[in-house]
Amino acid sequence: MSIIEIENLEKTFKVLNRHEGLKGAVKDLFSHDYKYIKAVDKISMKINAGEIVGYLGPNGAGKSTTIKMMTGVLDPTSGHIKVNGNIPYKNRRINAQNIGVVFGQRTQLWWSLPVIESFKILKMIYQINDKTYKDNLELFDSLVKVSSLYSKPVRQMSLGQRTLCDILAAFLHDPKVIFLDEPTIGLDVSIKSKIRMLIKELNARKNTTVILTTHDMGDVEALCQRAVIIDKGKIIFDDQFESLKSMFGSYRTLKVSVDDMSEKNINDTIRIIESAFNQTKALTVNRSEDWIEIIVDQDKTALTDVLSFVINNIHVSDVKIEEVEAESIIRKIYEGGRTV
Amino acid sequence: MNQGFKYYLKIYLAIITQDIKSKMQYRMDFFISTLGMIATNLSGLISFWILFRSIPNIQGWDYHEMIFIYAFSLLAVTPVQLFFDNLWNINDKVLRGDFIVYCFRPLNIFFYYMSEVFDVKGLSQLIFGCLLLIYSWASLHIQITVVSILFLFVTLLGASLVMIGIMVLACSSAFWITNSTSVLVFMFKFKDYSKYPITIFNTVFRFIFSFLIPIGFIAFYPSEIFLRPKSTTILALASPVIGIAFFILAYFVWMYGARKYSGTGS
Repeated sequence: MSIIEIENLEKTFKVLNRHEGLKGAVKDLFSHDYKYIKAVDKISMKINAGEIVGYLGPNGAGKSTTIKMMTGVLDPTSGHIKVNGNIPYKNRRINAQNIGVVFGQRTQLWWSLPVIESFKILKMIYQINDKTYKDNLELFDSLVKVSSLYSKPVRQMSLGQRTLCDILAAFLHDPKVIFLDEPTIGLDVSIKSKIRMLIKELNARKNTTVILTTHDMGDVEALCQRAVIIDKGKIIFDDQFESLKSMFGSYRTLKVSVDDMSEKNINDTIRIIESAFNQTKALTVNRSEDWIEIIVDQDKTALTDVLSFVINNIHVSDVKIEEVEAESIIRKIYEGGRTV
Repeated sequence: MNQGFKYYLKIYLAIITQDIKSKMQYRMDFFISTLGMIATNLSGLISFWILFRSIPNIQGWDYHEMIFIYAFSLLAVTPVQLFFDNLWNINDKVLRGDFIVYCFRPLNIFFYYMSEVFDVKGLSQLIFGCLLLIYSWASLHIQITVVSILFLFVTLLGASLVMIGIMVLACSSAFWITNSTSVLVFMFKFKDYSKYPITIFNTVFRFIFSFLIPIGFIAFYPSEIFLRPKSTTILALASPVIGIAFFILAYFVWMYGARKYSGTGS
């Protein structure tokens, strides 16, 4: 049963065409020269109850606009949207009762109050019964050991603690759908994994549908069965995460810098690396600013082999290993001509 | 979903209680700001007193009547300071995009936004206003009857709503312009003119203060009911109605702006 239904959803913003300079600014004051920007361009999708969906895309792709329409903050220009049977923008408050939202780094807890007092106020706002409230607090504590934090005012918390509490607050009233917008941005590895575990557990126990927007492919890998990618307002990918993974998952980027950054030395180095792994066709070597960038296909050769070759044969001053970013995946989808 | 008046009141009281508790923890801040408020009120009163030492009356309004209007104005301005102090933060919230978080709860956005801050400092002004009003009331030998007390509460409520309306309208400007704090400061300054009888201003200002920025309804027109019961104007009697109407107007403008803004802002 689908809990979110979106059909031909479109959102157009009217923006004034700005002119340059002071003269342009004066002109703008009286201008009626508008252009229309399609932030979301006829998208359709169905999300089932209990799914964790990764909603991905570069900045300005239309992610936030879609989330805002699903939360009832924004009304669509055209198309249909239903969350849990409600039309969000028509019944914002009823919709809000059934959803939880964690929006970026903006806390929704009362800044000066201890977390537990915020929870008590939320209990009143969402009219949570005593038993559900008590059970949820116990569950939260058994998962992430947070009760020691409860007496601490939100303003004294670290970003990680605050995000954790914000996520718990969003789950407190047993909502059917949770929207998490960049929940792990700016957090260290240990708190990131704690948050991922928490989301996964709560989703499994409560069958909560989770819509997660993120730039961190690690989040998606750890949590999502399904990924939806939006770019320039259009959905360009909507499938199992596994099939997305097969397109990029086996790739890693190895970045190497050398002491002698002269053109000649770099070209020589690139040639040495390329020729060593020539037969496997596992590498693409490029220069990107101050780094030599080696994209390794792990299906064909082990990353450790490449790394040990580089360290043994070249005077390396620094090494970095990176995952392929969401942006390069989108580029790959375009290059592969793959659409939904 | 049952969200009646009781529901909102319960939530409001819970937030206020917690907010006061947390503010009490910063004792120094609490004492100093309370002292500051008392000092502001005292100095205002002293300058008033000095003025009236040399001028026994202004256009037929004597010292005690002026104190009455002054006290009325202090009381009428108190609710906006106590309950609507968060409107001073709107510029920041809107510019930084934090305003959107007020749209995610199953609550009225206006209520949710304003409920966030309760300014305890306003209480000292409340006490000050009460004392002055009692003093002038007694000195002027105004009769104390059930009707006069009832009138006092109704007119004070109306007057407060006018002040709240003015500030909420100024606050709404944040949804359209980027420097709304200056609008708030500008409008807040007008309350100082509400302490004087409107009749001392020339026709142009009298019109402005009655119909455009209706500060005449914060203290002068409602005070007329008590001070000049025989020659009470229609404006004086209408002041509670005008208060309610003005507040409703301001509320809808604010809500319109909030919905419009959260649609476009990031």
